[in-house]
Amino acid sequence: MAAMRSGAGQDHTGEPGGPGSAVTPASVPSPPALPYADGSSVAASTKAVLDDEHVVVRGLWRAVDVFRWLALAYAVWAAWERHEQIAHLALGVAVLGVLAGWTLAVTLRPVRTVRAYAIELAIGCSAILATRLVDDPEVITAGAKTIPSIWPTAAVVGFAVLRGWRGGLAAASVVAACSFVEVVEPTPNTITNSIFGLLLGGCIGYCVDLARSSHAALAEAMRLDAARAERDRLARTVHDGVLQTLAFINRRASDLGGEAARLGAMAGEQERILRTLVSQADLAEVGRAVSGDADLRGLLRHVEDDDVQLVSPADAVLLPRRVADEVVAAVEAALDNVRQHAGDDARAWVLLDDAGDEVAVTIRDSGRGVPTGRLAEAVAQGRLGVSSSILGRLADLGGTATVTSGPAGGTTVEMRIPNRRTAGSASRHHGRQPDRRAERRAVDGTDGRGAS
Amino acid sequence: MTEQEDAMPQQGSSTPPEHIRVVVADDHPMWRDAVARDLADAGFEVLATADDGRSAVARTRATVPDVLVLDLNLPGLTGAEVCAALAAAQVPTRILILSASGDHQDVLDAVKAGALGYLVKSAGREEFLAAVRATAAGEPVFTAGLAGLVLGEFRRVKAAGGGSPERPIPELTDRETEILKYVATGMGYKEIAATLFLSHRTVQNHVQNIFGKLQMHNRVELVRFAMERGLDLADPT
Repeated sequence: MAAMRSGAGQDHTGEPGGPGSAVTPASVPSPPALPYADGSSVAASTKAVLDDEHVVVRGLWRAVDVFRWLALAYAVWAAWERHEQIAHLALGVAVLGVLAGWTLAVTLRPVRTVRAYAIELAIGCSAILATRLVDDPEVITAGAKTIPSIWPTAAVVGFAVLRGWRGGLAAASVVAACSFVEVVEPTPNTITNSIFGLLLGGCIGYCVDLARSSHAALAEAMRLDAARAERDRLARTVHDGVLQTLAFINRRASDLGGEAARLGAMAGEQERILRTLVSQADLAEVGRAVSGDADLRGLLRHVEDDDVQLVSPADAVLLPRRVADEVVAAVEAALDNVRQHAGDDARAWVLLDDAGDEVAVTIRDSGRGVPTGRLAEAVAQGRLGVSSSILGRLADLGGTATVTSGPAGGTTVEMRIPNRRTAGSASRHHGRQPDRRAERRAVDGTDGRGAS
Repeated sequence: MTEQEDAMPQQGSSTPPEHIRVVVADDHPMWRDAVARDLADAGFEVLATADDGRSAVARTRATVPDVLVLDLNLPGLTGAEVCAALAAAQVPTRILILSASGDHQDVLDAVKAGALGYLVKSAGREEFLAAVRATAAGEPVFTAGLAGLVLGEFRRVKAAGGGSPERPIPELTDRETEILKYVATGMGYKEIAATLFLSHRTVQNHVQNIFGKLQMHNRVELVRFAMERGLDLADPT
């Protein structure tokens, strides 16, 4: 289980989006059936799932407890059936007594630990080996049942539940080995029983592994959903109160001027940060990483500050993760360039334009710009930082980057990245449109009234 | 997002402010009063104020101001729903969205439903007043952020197949796309005009066409939507 978890986490450990960003609630089949009406029920059911072992696992434990008694009854009946051939009946009864004692003990006080099941396995194996003392060798060679019969299988299943398929196979191997030692010359029964034991331990263990990993995925999805609900709640409060107040302070204070204006600017700064923090764009993106795609909007959010504005569409701008990381690095390089060369009061805009078969990222600054003739020279000298960090990256991605300078000053870097994930399948938008639409309450049109 | 700095009512002071009549809808008394006072101080006529979506619709329909200054997150109805209700009722009032939230989808929905512009509340007072004047003059108050959303919306609609065959959603011309991208990277109309060797007026016309195309979805849908939301269109109170 632990291995599976860390494996699932490898692909998106760098995701800056939501907490964990592993599974979007929509992509996990189970959550919609659970009560999500309010935060408290989410929290309660999450707790119930997290605290308890998976229902399949609990069922298996009960089955083991019942099976142990049935196996004991079968062993007693089998011994009774052939009590004439048993050489040392008293010893056989004593062995069965030990098995009965253990069965009773773990029924009264179940202990689901490796240690308890190791003891049970040892008792079972000892009982198998003790058959050698109870029976005559000829009887054993003739194919007689062991004294504990199928009783040790309970320990095999126990290990499978505790430790998955590896535990089940290991325990079954120990039982099989003892059986072979006991018979000395393997009978067909010994071989068949051992194979069945191995199959049983392996299969049950595998099922338990599956149950546990799906349980972990479910718990993670519920945790994310609870986190999202909580964040939505906070965002509403912040929108309705704090942001309004901060914006108001900023507005009034800038009217007053002087010291008040400085305080107002601080309030304005906090308002901007908070608004970005609670903006909900990335919530829908939680877990797009599952498909290996990343939303450029989320990946580029960190470039925004007082002087840099990220301009993006309402829908996710998805690129394969590796490609998106390269694009982000190229944008960062271009913005570094703006900071170094465009002047202190320059502002910059980063526009994301998803045209379907290609994604265009435009970085424009309001700075001094570059005299037309000197642009190539600057590129050649690497002064614009475009030669390797931008042009090189874009070339690697099969895209292009152009640098232009406007007549009014300012430099524009336009990067075009072919989007192979959508090339030739413009219908992908169809695919995710209905559910997006369902979420929107707003109307989809108007009459273009322009009269006044 | 810092979208406040480049809302671009570079023109729009052609109408004297005293002739511009405004309704202010905001559920925060603090904001509502401050906005109304700023408008009154600057010579605008504030006809009414409203503190929820339904009263915003009702008072706008009753007074038919030049401009409705509309908070995006009103109780009762969303900003988009207020816009839709007013459009469905064929109220000619132009709508300027003023919002504390930078929530993308909400803004886009409101603009698609007929709002003419969008300004974040952190915008300065002068900028706000200029935006109201521009809105009254029918000029879209376009920020870089909004331009990015509008561009994305046209891309989405195009990728989705452009609406139903009987009433296709218009696509942007190459020139309109170009201008939209310039606006989305923070360029003013003057700068765009200089870059493209066009007149300022031509750029403005292009921008208005872009808005027109965005909002040119059919009226039937809008009216049905308003009915479903229980907005009585026959009886302005």
